[in-house]
Amino acid sequence: MATIPHNPDQGDFETAATSRDSTSTKAPKKAPRVRRDRVSTHESFLTYGRGRWAKIAIGIFVVSLATYLFIDVEPRHNGGSWYGYTLGTIGLGLILWLTLLGVRKRAITPGRWSLKAWTSAHVYLGLSLIAIGTLHAGFQLGWNVHTLAWALMMLVIVSGLFGIWVYARLPTAMSANRFDAEGAITEKQMIEGLKQLDRQIHDAAQPLDPEAAAVVDKSLEENVFAGSAYARVMNRYPKCQTRAAIADVRKLRNFRPRLEDDPFEKVDTLLSRKEALLAKLRRHLQLKSWLQSWLFIHVPATFALIAALSAHVISVFFYW
Amino acid sequence: MSFLVRQIALKASGGEIVRARRVDGDEMKIGRDGTCGVHLPDLGVDPEAALVTQLDETHIEIESIGGQPFEVDGRPVTRKELDVTEGAELVFGSHRIKLGQDPRSRFPTFTVRRETPMAHSSADNDLTDVYTLKGKVPGKRMSAWAFAAMVAIAFLAWPIYSYATYNELALDKEAVRPVGFHGDKLWTSGKMSLAHKGLENDCQSCHVEPFVAVRDNACMTCHKDDAHEHIRVAGATARLDQARGEPTGFAGFRRAVSTTFNKPVGRCVECHTEHEGAGAMAATDQQFCTDCHDGMKARLPDTKLPDAADFGTSHPQFMPAVITNAAPEKPVVKRIAWTPDAKEYGGLKFTHAQHLSTTNGVAQMVRRRPSEFPEQGALDCENCHQADPSGTWFKPVVMEEACQTCHSLTFDQVGGTFRTLRHGEPEMVVADLRAFFAGGAPVRPANLGGMARRQPGDSSAVGVAKDYARAVRFYPTQASQAITMLFNKGGACFDCHTIIPGGAATGGYNIQNVAQTQRYLQKGWFTHDRHTKFECVDCHLKAETSNDATDLLIPGLGGKGGCRDCHVGQGGASLASVKQPVESGCAMCHDYHADDGAPWMSRQPASRRASVDRKRNAGSAGTTSR
Repeated sequence: MATIPHNPDQGDFETAATSRDSTSTKAPKKAPRVRRDRVSTHESFLTYGRGRWAKIAIGIFVVSLATYLFIDVEPRHNGGSWYGYTLGTIGLGLILWLTLLGVRKRAITPGRWSLKAWTSAHVYLGLSLIAIGTLHAGFQLGWNVHTLAWALMMLVIVSGLFGIWVYARLPTAMSANRFDAEGAITEKQMIEGLKQLDRQIHDAAQPLDPEAAAVVDKSLEENVFAGSAYARVMNRYPKCQTRAAIADVRKLRNFRPRLEDDPFEKVDTLLSRKEALLAKLRRHLQLKSWLQSWLFIHVPATFALIAALSAHVISVFFYW
Repeated sequence: MSFLVRQIALKASGGEIVRARRVDGDEMKIGRDGTCGVHLPDLGVDPEAALVTQLDETHIEIESIGGQPFEVDGRPVTRKELDVTEGAELVFGSHRIKLGQDPRSRFPTFTVRRETPMAHSSADNDLTDVYTLKGKVPGKRMSAWAFAAMVAIAFLAWPIYSYATYNELALDKEAVRPVGFHGDKLWTSGKMSLAHKGLENDCQSCHVEPFVAVRDNACMTCHKDDAHEHIRVAGATARLDQARGEPTGFAGFRRAVSTTFNKPVGRCVECHTEHEGAGAMAATDQQFCTDCHDGMKARLPDTKLPDAADFGTSHPQFMPAVITNAAPEKPVVKRIAWTPDAKEYGGLKFTHAQHLSTTNGVAQMVRRRPSEFPEQGALDCENCHQADPSGTWFKPVVMEEACQTCHSLTFDQVGGTFRTLRHGEPEMVVADLRAFFAGGAPVRPANLGGMARRQPGDSSAVGVAKDYARAVRFYPTQASQAITMLFNKGGACFDCHTIIPGGAATGGYNIQNVAQTQRYLQKGWFTHDRHTKFECVDCHLKAETSNDATDLLIPGLGGKGGCRDCHVGQGGASLASVKQPVESGCAMCHDYHADDGAPWMSRQPASRRASVDRKRNAGSAGTTSR
């Protein structure tokens, strides 16, 4: 089976055009379909093993709910009954195991215990914690360390759910954003394109008078990656210098006679192209920030959860 | 004269390219325009920014053309005379120009170098992270540690500090912590019950030592006097453990786990669970009773208590306390096993069935006296049996209020006033009769005399004569006769009372004491108040058939009219099918802290409780002598 370096983040998308065989100058020896078959049999971690872990998670959900309802704990369910301790121990072990995905993902192995399998189990067993954790508490919540642990657990789960949602939805939008008439554009190419445009703008702006040159220079000086996290997530750049430069250049040009080979026209055209490229780049930044942002909650909240869990367990035994 | 201009550009590899050029003439321009001697492709520089003029061999003058200032050795100027032998640094926009003198030709040299890239994008930025949020938000690792540390400090270190600084709370009834928030309150697993609300601020009142489960000595700090006998009596705890026996199966496993985790068995808190939320403490679960009482005889052979478990399936028959002999001043009360034919000897004669009949003379008498029995076709239970103010029990039946309505003790009429024998005072009854008969025989009716006006014919006279003759014949004409009749069969006293021999003051007769039981089930709790939607005879079945006052009319455990008609075990278990099952744990009727009050679970509202207490203090077996 042919193995081709595959890095979707860098724009490597398996299409017939980019597969090794079709770009080779030699006549194809083996059926190029091998690669395509692999592409078409791609299985998401959500559907891994025909939803094996989803079924297991549903099983955990049903079993814990059924036992919760049918096991009569007096005076009422809470973490201090034998049933509560059992669920609590399971939940604690599960949380620690789920945290280990961070360790596990740094070692990629194929097969039965592949990272995909782990991720699938991570997602579904993590969701089953909603049942285990809440039933462990017996729906008794208050302003204390125990509920803090529960709330952090829910925060981690909800942020994880958001992560799944963006992983499922945004890559398509990302590809669509990067594709245009000339094909896909990579992150590197975006920066190269920007450099090139800046160089052209710089050259084209040389004949301009000081006022116009200063306007154009502002666009060149702007760092397109400088926006705040908020600007990235919302894709809002109200102080975009390129847009301002286009407006100013056009304003200045309006008061001047039309010339042949007008430097203003050149600069205007180039700035417009830069603006279009920036729009693409910023949309890309937005999608990427969405893909990453949830982890900035998911991971720190997990560690806060582990700290809260430790306090929760120690407190129970401390005031035994 | 000439100027030497050296333009330095950077190669991609990092090396430098130097392009040298000689500009002839005494003047030279610096600017963005291509015609300038020093050409600066810099949008921040005017097309013609400055003019350089050679003054003599070693001096030049630089003057701004458009008035735009430039920097010389870090200071902005628009005109400056410079000594080329001393050298200088000029800055135009992004370009730095080093001024010097060529050592050979002695021409002024201008070494031009671009300091900042012409566009931001053309700088060699580190591109690995620009597409990520790195640097935009706090790093994952950093915030993970920060949040974890914050949680650990606030929810672990602070509570432990609070614990460590208030050790004096332990086992001291009087010690309290200052009002305010203490760190270890973050550890509470729920609100305290109403009874222990005051301890909410003082965790260490109960949690004395870390990692040691709450022990009885903490409870006994306050409950020295009111703890129940299972704990208070010496050796009671050991007996309690013995009664419980060694659990097997899953319960045994649970006990093993508890013991492993330093939770010894037999502590108060096993039953009296706390932190279950504000409000009254939860009723004790049936399991806590049956752990011991189910099959206890086997484990505790000397116990007097019968085995008991689920009410629906394995509860021993009731043991009502009944009066076996009412004659002594203090009636003899004995607990007997309930049977359908159980007897109680209260000293009275009474026919429940006859009095409740809807067809006989009793019913007829009721119907004829609508002013006293409005809208009644027959006697009702409540005509005689009145609930006490608490609604729990019934007041003793009082002759004057209940029986005398029909069973009149009137024996004479003076004017419009009826004279009545004094109930409960046989001496006075005898004395009154003797006084009455001192007056002699019945007065001969006036219309029996010859002078009296009468109706024509003899018939009325015959009637009067008959009545009189019957009176003379059948009614006593002497006191001793009347007294004998009263106390013997057919007499007013005899009808209801047991007649015993008495002294001379009562004509040789006397009335045996009468006693009524107010509470039959002394060890369990029953309240009529909660059963008002039923008819009396739904449970007191035999009231409709019994014509013997010694029949015990309270219902038993099972059978028709028994408690199990409705009440099933805590889990709904029952021996026979029940239409409207009422789940009844032990605590519904029984109280661990056995007193006269209702069990914890069945406590009535406080407004009623006071009156119950008052009644209860008068004695549970209400007796009325005679």
